[in-house]
Amino acid sequence: MKNLLLFIGFCFATLGTNAQLRINLVVSSTPPSTLTEWANKREVLTLIVTLAGATGGSPDVKIKTEIKTLDGTVIGTTDLVKARSFRFQPGNTILTAAEVLPLEHMIFSGKYRNALDKTGKLPADNYTICVQLVLPPDFRPVTEPQCKNFYLANTQLPVLMKPYDGEILDGKIAQTAITFRWTPVIPRLKEPTTYRIQVFEILQNQTPLQALRANQPLLDKEVKGMTQYIWQPQLSFLPEAGDAQVETPEMKWRNNNTMRSNRGENSKTDSSGTDSVNLKWRNNNTMRSNRGDNLSVNPDPVVPVKRFTWTIQSLDPLGNPVNQTDGNGESRSEPLQFSIQPVKNTPANKEKPKDRPLKGIKDTIKTQV
Amino acid sequence: MLLCGLHAAAQDSIANSIKEKVKEKTQVSGMLGISYEGYGLDRNPNGWTGYLPRRPWNQVRFNFTPNFKFSKNFSMPVNFNFAAFPTNFAGPYSGIKNQNFGQYVTNPVNNFGINPKYKWAELQLGTQYLKYSDLSTGDIGIFGAGFDLRPKTLRFKFFNGISQQAVNFFSGLPPTQGAYKRRNWMAQLGLEKEGSYLFAFNFSKGKDVSSSVTTPPATIKPQEGFVMSVVSDVYVGKWYVKLEGAQSTFTKDLTTPLSPIVRSLKPFIDAHTSTVTDYAAQAAIGRRSPKFDIGIMAKYLGAGYQTTGYPYQQPDRFDYTLNTRLNLWKNKMNIVASGGQRVNNVSNTALKARQFIGNLNWFTQFSDAFSLNVNYNNFGFQSASGINPYGIKNVSNDFGVNPTFTFSNTKMSHMISLGYNFSLYDERDVVTGLTTSNKTHMALLTYVPVYFTRDISPDFSILYFYNRVPTPLITTKLFTLSSGLSMPAAKKKMQLRGQLQYTIGKLNSFSNNNNFIASCNVDYKLTKKLTWTTFLSTNKYKYGNEINPSGANYLESTCRSGFQYRFDTKKN
Repeated sequence: MKNLLLFIGFCFATLGTNAQLRINLVVSSTPPSTLTEWANKREVLTLIVTLAGATGGSPDVKIKTEIKTLDGTVIGTTDLVKARSFRFQPGNTILTAAEVLPLEHMIFSGKYRNALDKTGKLPADNYTICVQLVLPPDFRPVTEPQCKNFYLANTQLPVLMKPYDGEILDGKIAQTAITFRWTPVIPRLKEPTTYRIQVFEILQNQTPLQALRANQPLLDKEVKGMTQYIWQPQLSFLPEAGDAQVETPEMKWRNNNTMRSNRGENSKTDSSGTDSVNLKWRNNNTMRSNRGDNLSVNPDPVVPVKRFTWTIQSLDPLGNPVNQTDGNGESRSEPLQFSIQPVKNTPANKEKPKDRPLKGIKDTIKTQV
Repeated sequence: MLLCGLHAAAQDSIANSIKEKVKEKTQVSGMLGISYEGYGLDRNPNGWTGYLPRRPWNQVRFNFTPNFKFSKNFSMPVNFNFAAFPTNFAGPYSGIKNQNFGQYVTNPVNNFGINPKYKWAELQLGTQYLKYSDLSTGDIGIFGAGFDLRPKTLRFKFFNGISQQAVNFFSGLPPTQGAYKRRNWMAQLGLEKEGSYLFAFNFSKGKDVSSSVTTPPATIKPQEGFVMSVVSDVYVGKWYVKLEGAQSTFTKDLTTPLSPIVRSLKPFIDAHTSTVTDYAAQAAIGRRSPKFDIGIMAKYLGAGYQTTGYPYQQPDRFDYTLNTRLNLWKNKMNIVASGGQRVNNVSNTALKARQFIGNLNWFTQFSDAFSLNVNYNNFGFQSASGINPYGIKNVSNDFGVNPTFTFSNTKMSHMISLGYNFSLYDERDVVTGLTTSNKTHMALLTYVPVYFTRDISPDFSILYFYNRVPTPLITTKLFTLSSGLSMPAAKKKMQLRGQLQYTIGKLNSFSNNNNFIASCNVDYKLTKKLTWTTFLSTNKYKYGNEINPSGANYLESTCRSGFQYRFDTKKN
């Protein structure tokens, strides 16, 4: 008898709850690809729960969230046993992704789980997210499911194309114009992306990353929607005592081929394998690091150059980085280095041709303008 | 064991150093320098801000890099390079103006490093840029302490420190991006025989201190990352093989809840919901010889491969390149070529993108009087573009030819160099599918007379540059005349170099803009050890009517002067 009364009471409570609780789901059509980022922005996912016609709070309910592919296959669902319970007060309650999509209690299947574990993202595709309130302990639905479609694709930052990594530009040409090219942000955003191109001079004793993080950029220009910029540097590239020595293409090739990173550095280290910046002095008074960043341990043949590093920062229409909390938080593309061979009007050319051995590319670099 | 080893090495070191002090005097060699850089910008009309300053108004830089050599086996290189004012525009210190002591010593603009070394034991103190391998420790500087031990073939390295101090976010003027304090440590354990093999395990960890800032950065969350890698290099004769495999476990946001579902890597890292684990690998194999080199290199970075050491690394890609070099015709002909492909989105979390890369540089010295250099570069990029009807396709082709003629008599030689470059950049519109071709022509003529009996070295050049973008139509024409002169003075104690350059530019049908640059530098050897260097440059630019206000112009000037003292007690 007691059980029967309890059951009848439960049924009334359930019916009453059905009548009182409503939900409204708002989801961005192109949310961030990293699911943990959803909780950082309110506009990505909002669930409005309305409790009407009740004086007290709702019974404890749980939020059942499912993510499906467009064909209806459920790829992720809330673990309702472990999920948090909510008791809503009369009026509207606004919940965000942190409550609606609690990743610590979401169970994803197969390749989707694998992708999340590796990247924090789901494979690029169209998905549907469905949310409804359920009543424990048997998780009966209290509301109708609310579903919204969204498209996920990770935003890829531009890849820098030109000047290519390690390119040695001629000072005479570079004094007039240097052309920069890069790939666009993928996928294309609704509004044209603003590309902020920055060029930093790598000073004596500096590594490329140091220069990028420490120096004032010589070029800091925003271009909208275009993937090319012609820079008139308006700088003098006269040789100076502090110019770095870099390898000719021949030596550069050798080191690159030995082992090369795509960060614009020869990863050849000294024989120790450690390349602390124990900066070493060379006979030419030029400070060189043994980190391998465009400076070879085996020094010859080398040419004096001024070194630069450049990067692109991709900004949305509001001027914010397109990938705000992913990666470095700056949306700066992987920087590349290029060098400018100073204008050569030095006595280095004062050799009589007959005394001058043919040394292939080494001499070419010295005489080529 | 490690402490015992260090202790023994230290004792050994002290004892030996005392003995050797008697035999040998301590030697010190290196450089001591100070330089000042001043910058000026005068913009007209008054109030116009269309051109922004690009150097610090004032900056003073110091360098002190002695190497103390106490004995044959005991040395202590010191590397102090620091600046008076912060000039950070990117990265964790971006926008910082008033630094505390901790921020000053860890600011990337400053280096304070000391590396005492005795035989196979090296202490690493202060600022260190440590790169144990390509995939592990990274390219950031860390301020801290560690060691590098290399008894026989054993390699044991450890370093612990701070790569960035906390910087509060500030949205006012000047804004600061803000950063969490980040602690790092790294270790390597391995075997190495120089020139034969290397086999080592690398470990690297960085963790942000979430509570280190009162106003947290807006665009980045506190992070934690751990990387372990195994690296193996083998050299046999002219052949080499280099391999590295790595795994990273990275928490993108330490404020996200701990997750029992995501795999942890205890005791190094506890998994949060934002923790990802992914892999990376690279391999290179090749053969080197004086006349012919060939090598293949491949690199894979998983989409979730992220390290605290490489903050700007772009993951989710697979690169492979074939490189070759040929020396022919008694080394008078040199060919360097490479080709390869880069595939983005191996993980399928983004749109697939392919990038093709091809380079060729062909140089031939036909005779003493004539040489020719030809180069060709191709970069292609292809990707789907999401909901747009057409995919992205950008292709860049650059071709250059550069003949050089040299002829001479008994008094002088003449070098005439011609250069022509053509660049074609095709870009497909993702909505209409139409491809636009962006063309660039550049021609350069240089004349360099070289006097065998006189000290002056002049040069003269003319350059023409033309670029045309069809949609929207933008044509840029530049015409440059320049001349330089170099000569010694003051009984060859002084080296003078100067240059004048005048450029006329034209954008579409707007009126011409004009640019004049004058620069010179003077290196004056005050004594055998003391050098005074000065660089002066001025840049006057006047716009045409392509901007408002019409006729806007600016005068930019840079002055750099410094003293470098070179010391070496050995030569005394």
